[in-house]
Amino acid sequence: MIYNGIKIDNTFAEAFNMKASRIIVTADNLKWAKHACDSFTGFATSVIACGIEAGIEKKLKSSETPDNRPGYSILLFSMSRSQLEKQLEVRVGQCILTCPTTAIFSGMVGEDIIPLGKNLRYFGDGHQTSKKILDRRFWRIPVMDGEFLCEESTARVPAIGGGNFLVLSTNRKSCLSACETAINSIKNQPNIITPFPGGVVRSGSKVGSKYKALIASTNDAFCPTLKSVTKSTLPSNVNCVLEIVINGLTFDDINEAIKTCIKSISKMKIKKDIVAISAGNYGGKLGQYHFHLRKVMK
Amino acid sequence: MNPVILKLKKKIKYRMDMSFLSKPHKDISKLSSQTISYGNKQFKIKELFTIKGSDIKNIIIQSSVDLMDNIGKELNNINITVHGNVGYAFGEQMLSGKLILHGNALDYAASGIKGGSIFIHGNSGDYTGGKTNHGNIGIVDGFLYVKGNVGNNSIERMRRGNVIIEGNIGDYACNDMISGTIIIKGKIGKFFAEGIKRGTIFTKDKKVTKEYARSNDAEYNFTKFYFKEVSDIIGKKIFLENKNLTRYCGNTNSKNLSEIFLFKL
Repeated sequence: MIYNGIKIDNTFAEAFNMKASRIIVTADNLKWAKHACDSFTGFATSVIACGIEAGIEKKLKSSETPDNRPGYSILLFSMSRSQLEKQLEVRVGQCILTCPTTAIFSGMVGEDIIPLGKNLRYFGDGHQTSKKILDRRFWRIPVMDGEFLCEESTARVPAIGGGNFLVLSTNRKSCLSACETAINSIKNQPNIITPFPGGVVRSGSKVGSKYKALIASTNDAFCPTLKSVTKSTLPSNVNCVLEIVINGLTFDDINEAIKTCIKSISKMKIKKDIVAISAGNYGGKLGQYHFHLRKVMK
Repeated sequence: MNPVILKLKKKIKYRMDMSFLSKPHKDISKLSSQTISYGNKQFKIKELFTIKGSDIKNIIIQSSVDLMDNIGKELNNINITVHGNVGYAFGEQMLSGKLILHGNALDYAASGIKGGSIFIHGNSGDYTGGKTNHGNIGIVDGFLYVKGNVGNNSIERMRRGNVIIEGNIGDYACNDMISGTIIIKGKIGKFFAEGIKRGTIFTKDKKVTKEYARSNDAEYNFTKFYFKEVSDIIGKKIFLENKNLTRYCGNTNSKNLSEIFLFKL
């Protein structure tokens, strides 16, 4: 299939069941809210070693936040409830509580509740106070710049992680440029995040390794430098492959994001350097969700 | 489904216990055929009221009078809107749901509520949001808004929840308060907040801060958030701003660990 001059491979992205939660971080100004969020979402690229995958979902105006201050919403994804709970608590404690002027709120409503400030409140050493407004409870924890306000709990909902597509290009510059454009095109789309640095991954992985200790290793079939020594799937003119991984709350959110990304690449002048758009999968046996690229682009 | 609308068929002379509205009814016919006492006789509801509509979870009472007691008593997951005045114990020990009153309430309104929200767009009598007539527990949780003035002994023994009073409040208010948050925009009577333990009070009446120590001018993230939340709930902007607030707090050597935010208009 050729979409607006770009070849779309007849393949699919394989994604997995995950659990997600959303939090809202506010501060006196966007600068400090960003500091807190960058810190919170640092080292949260993949569940393989980080426990969770997290990213800034979108910027929020003062009128959109619970305390009339600017902020950001963050989405967190994890395979297990315990990891999500643990990572949320640890990261809020070390990255949001510590950051001047910030406050944190739940950004999600649901029946499956996980703690947000429930245990963090003990940092107040007995000086913390609880405030309950209708069904929501908040904690005011005294800190050196005044007080840290946090909601007691947030919700956890079913979500999907690992939606992806690969950009196959003749050179690295064009490949990176295409990925940057794609990421920019979904910057304001709600319910999704791209957890990797700048939204782009260069180290796509396959399951397993020749080394027993590793559960994942380099996806040699897509490594241009291994074309002659491994069973490569790359055409001869492909010299760079980059992947965009998208986690989302629903199938449609990811579907829409992949479509928007590929559309935006197809409008670029450098599309002549893009050999094809492909996707990563494990033969369809591991993931519960399949994003068939040609169906997505129809 | 249309809300159930109740209207008295004729003017009543004796007090009427309206707590039957809070009981779970399967449908409108069950409600209509329920029997209540009025005077020294028993009547079916349909003999006293004209009843329209079918949504048993949404009830509107038209031309209510202050002889109608216990409206919304122990209410659970039902919304009731009342046009006119009501009698005693309006929303007493309510559990959840919403009560809206476009009129005045007699004593014990919202006493001992455990959840839900009550909006009184008028004045309310003594013991509003206080202890019930038969117990020693004040507001346990929930939301109370009173547009007008409130009588004596109000908001006693409050444990949790939120109260907003736009008018004045009588004597002995907020006594033995355990926790919770209160905004009082009008004047406060005598013997305010005696025996208070914790909680947050927003007021402009400086005399109540006598026993309190002036706090530092720190930033309180809670206040901005609280005003926005409350404004959203009552559908009206609360006028308070952080810059107009001065905080006073209780002394750790006493049992009073409450805080008062004094505001200027």
